[in-house]
Amino acid sequence: MATEKTDVVIVGAGAVGGVLAAELGKAGMKVIALERGPRLRTEDFAPQDELRYFQRQDLRPDPKRQPVTWRPNTGARATLIQSLSYGNQAGGGTVHYGSVSWRFHEDDFRVRSQTIERYGAAAIPEDSSVIDWPVSYTELEPYYDRAEYDLGVSGKAGNLQGKKIEGGNVFEAPRKRDYPNPALHMDQVGVNFEAAAKKLGYHPFSTPRAIVSQPYNGRPACSYCGFCQGFGCHVGAKSSILVTKLVDADKTGNFKLITGAMCYRVNTDNSGRATGVSYYGPDGSSDNTIEADLVVVAPFIYDAVRLLLLSKTDRFPNGLANSSGHLGRHIMSHLGTRGFAAFDDRHINVYMGPSAQKHTIDDFNADNFDHKDLGFIRGAQISAGPAGLEGGPIASAMNMPPPPGVPRWGAGYRDFFSKYYTRYLALTGQTENLPYADQVIDLDPNVRDAWGMPAPRMTYDWRRPNEVKRVQFINNKLLEIGRATGAAHVWTAPTGPGAPGSHHQGGVRMGHNPRDSVVNKYGQTWDIPNLFVMGSANFPTSAGFNPTLTIQALSYMTADAIVNKYKKNPGKLI
Amino acid sequence: MSKHDEARRAFLVGAAVVGAGAATGAGLVPDALAQQQPAATNTAATGHDHAAASGSGYGAALNVDESATIKAFAERLMPGAPGKPGATDANVLNYIDLALAGAYSDQLDFYRRGIAQLDAYCQATFKESFAKLPTARQDEVITALEQGKATGFTYPTPQAFFNTLRTHTIEGMFADPVYGGNKDFAGWRLVGFPGAHPAFTPADMASKEAFAGGVLIGLQGQAPTRRT
Repeated sequence: MATEKTDVVIVGAGAVGGVLAAELGKAGMKVIALERGPRLRTEDFAPQDELRYFQRQDLRPDPKRQPVTWRPNTGARATLIQSLSYGNQAGGGTVHYGSVSWRFHEDDFRVRSQTIERYGAAAIPEDSSVIDWPVSYTELEPYYDRAEYDLGVSGKAGNLQGKKIEGGNVFEAPRKRDYPNPALHMDQVGVNFEAAAKKLGYHPFSTPRAIVSQPYNGRPACSYCGFCQGFGCHVGAKSSILVTKLVDADKTGNFKLITGAMCYRVNTDNSGRATGVSYYGPDGSSDNTIEADLVVVAPFIYDAVRLLLLSKTDRFPNGLANSSGHLGRHIMSHLGTRGFAAFDDRHINVYMGPSAQKHTIDDFNADNFDHKDLGFIRGAQISAGPAGLEGGPIASAMNMPPPPGVPRWGAGYRDFFSKYYTRYLALTGQTENLPYADQVIDLDPNVRDAWGMPAPRMTYDWRRPNEVKRVQFINNKLLEIGRATGAAHVWTAPTGPGAPGSHHQGGVRMGHNPRDSVVNKYGQTWDIPNLFVMGSANFPTSAGFNPTLTIQALSYMTADAIVNKYKKNPGKLI
Repeated sequence: MSKHDEARRAFLVGAAVVGAGAATGAGLVPDALAQQQPAATNTAATGHDHAAASGSGYGAALNVDESATIKAFAERLMPGAPGKPGATDANVLNYIDLALAGAYSDQLDFYRRGIAQLDAYCQATFKESFAKLPTARQDEVITALEQGKATGFTYPTPQAFFNTLRTHTIEGMFADPVYGGNKDFAGWRLVGFPGAHPAFTPADMASKEAFAGGVLIGLQGQAPTRRT
C-alpha cells in the first residue's frame, strides 16, 4: 500500500490547483497534487489538428471512460453527454480553453440585492435560488489584479479607478491599473463587429484574454495561428496553468504532481476531520493513499460533487460537508445562443487570430441595461468569433446551421459552405442563467465510469420562463448586430433542447452561512475546516462572463488566507 | 506513382486485389504520403478510382457492399462537380473506413446495422439497394432519413444514422489528410482553408480579401500547389 504524507493534498491540478500549489509551496508548505490525466508540454501541441483536438476533444475527458449523464427532469431517462467541456490533464481546462479572462461586474456578486433594489423582489423568479456572494468585487479586486499580472492577460482597461476609457469595456468595474499586456490585434471579425456595434450606439472592445500579446515572463507573444479553443498553444503564449503556475510550483521545491491518479475518496476520521485522500493509480491499483493536514478538492464541478457524495461515512451520511443539504444543487450553465452573418462583398477569414469570443459588447450583460418590463433579469455577454469558437472548417460546418432555405447537405449545402466559410462571422450570446435548487448533480444509479464509480448525473433544463425570455431578447440583438454589419445573410441557430451548455457552475456553493451553502468564501467547507472544495462549483450565480479568471482570483485569495491565517491557526477562517 | 500508392489504391478499389493490399499492409496506411505527390498525379489517381470503383471498395473495416453504400451516401451529402471536389474526390470513404477500424471502432456495429436498415428500406421502397439507385432517388432516401420518415429502422434511428454520416463526411472532407480523407487537401481547397498555419501577421488579419499568403499546410508537410 502506497501511503505518502504531506501538508496539503490537492485533487485536480487545474485553474485552482495550480494557483494553490505554487502559492502554498512558496510559503513552505509541502504540496502533492493528484491529476487524473497526463502532464503535457508545449512541444506536444505542435500538431494543429482540428479533428484530434476540436472534434475528438483530445484534451478533454473521454465520455466513454468518464461518462456524465443528463436528464431534463427527474421523470426523464438520463442519457450520456457526448461532449465534455472541461480539462483532463495537468493545467485542467486552461490548457484547451479560449482564454477569455473577465473580472465579474460589481453587481454580479450581489444579484439578489441588486435586483430587489432596482426592480423589487417580485422580479426574481419564485423558484430561483439566487443569493448574493459572500465576497464583493472590491474585496476580490486585488486578486483579480494579481491573477492578470501573474498569469498574463491582454486587454484594454475601460474603467480605470472610475475613469471610463473608450475602447475598453466601459461597463467593467473599476480597476486599479490597466492590463499587463495591450489588447490582441484585431482581425476582420473584430473590425466588422466593432463597426456594426458602434453604428448601433453600443460599446465594443477586444475581449480580454489570457494570451500574451507581447513577450511576457519568458513566454513569446501570440502568433495568431487561430488554434486556441480546444487546442494547447503551440508557442506557449496562452497563459495556461500548465506554463504558468505549475512551472512556479516546480520552482518552490515543495511540489509533487502525481499524474494518472483518479481520486475516489476523501478520507475522514471519527472526529470529523479530513485525513487525506485515496486514489486509483494509472495501473488501476486502488490502495494508494495520501495523508495530509489539509485537503483541497478542485476538479471540475461534476467530480467535486461526486467525490463528496462518494466519500460519505456514518458521520457524514449524506456526503461530506453536506449538513446543509445543498451539495449538488443550484447547478448553472452558460447557454451559447448563436447568430451568423455571411458576406458577399468581403472576406472575414475567421480562422485567423485567437479564436474564442474575439470581440465583445457588454451593453446587455448583467444589470448593465434596464430590465424593467422585459420579463427577465440578468443578461449575456455578446461576442463575435467563429462558430464553435474555433475557426477551422470542421468546427464551422458542425456549428453553423445554414440559413433558412439552404439544405444541410447536397449541392446546395456544398455551395453555401464553400462560398461562405471564409466570409462569415458568428455572434454568440453567453447568457447568465439563474440558479435553481432543483438543478442538481447526483450519482447515476445505472452508469459507471472506467474505474467502476457511479457517473455524475445532471438534472437540468435551462428552459425556464426567465431564461427563455432572455434568450429571445439576446437573439434579437444578435440579428440587429448582424444586420448592421451589412452582411448579405443574417440568421440565428435554433436553441435546441434544455441540455446544459458550457462553463458549469454551482453544486458546492459558497454563502454567508452554513444553512444555505456548503462552503465559505474561501471554499472552506462549513462542516470540515481542513477540507476545502474550490472552483466554479462555488459560484452562487454565474454571471454572463467566462468563469476562469474569477476562479483564479478566488484561488489567490484563498491561498493568502491559508498562508496568513490558517497555517498559523488551523480552523475555521470564518 | 510509387508502388506504395498503387497498392494503397488497389486496396480501396477492388476486392480482387485485396490480398495484395493486405499483404503489404498498405490499406491501413492513410493517404498522408499521397499529399507529397504532385497534385496532377493524384488527380489522375482519383479519376482511376472513380472509373474502377463502380460502387465497390474494400478496406480496413467495411466490406465491399458496405463501402459502396457509404461511398454513394457520402457523395450525395457532399457531391462533387467540376472545380468543386466532393466526398469521392476527397476519399471520404477511406477516412470513414480507417476511423471505423480505429478511433470509431465502437461505431462499426452502428454502421453495419444502419447500412442494413438503409438497404432494407431501399429494397422495400424501390426494389434496389441504396448504392444502385439513381442519385435523385438516393436524395429522396436521404431526405426521408433526415426527416425521420424512413420506415423499418430500429437501431440506429434514421436521423441518428443520417447525422452520424453527415458528421463523418464533414470530418472526412476537412480533417487533415493524415486521417485518410481530404485527399490532396480537396476539402480545404473547396472552402479556402489554408490549413495549419503556425502564424498570421497583422497584415493578413487586416485584409478583406481571400488569404493568399502561403501554401496549404498539413500535418505531414506542405501541399505542392495552392488552391486556385
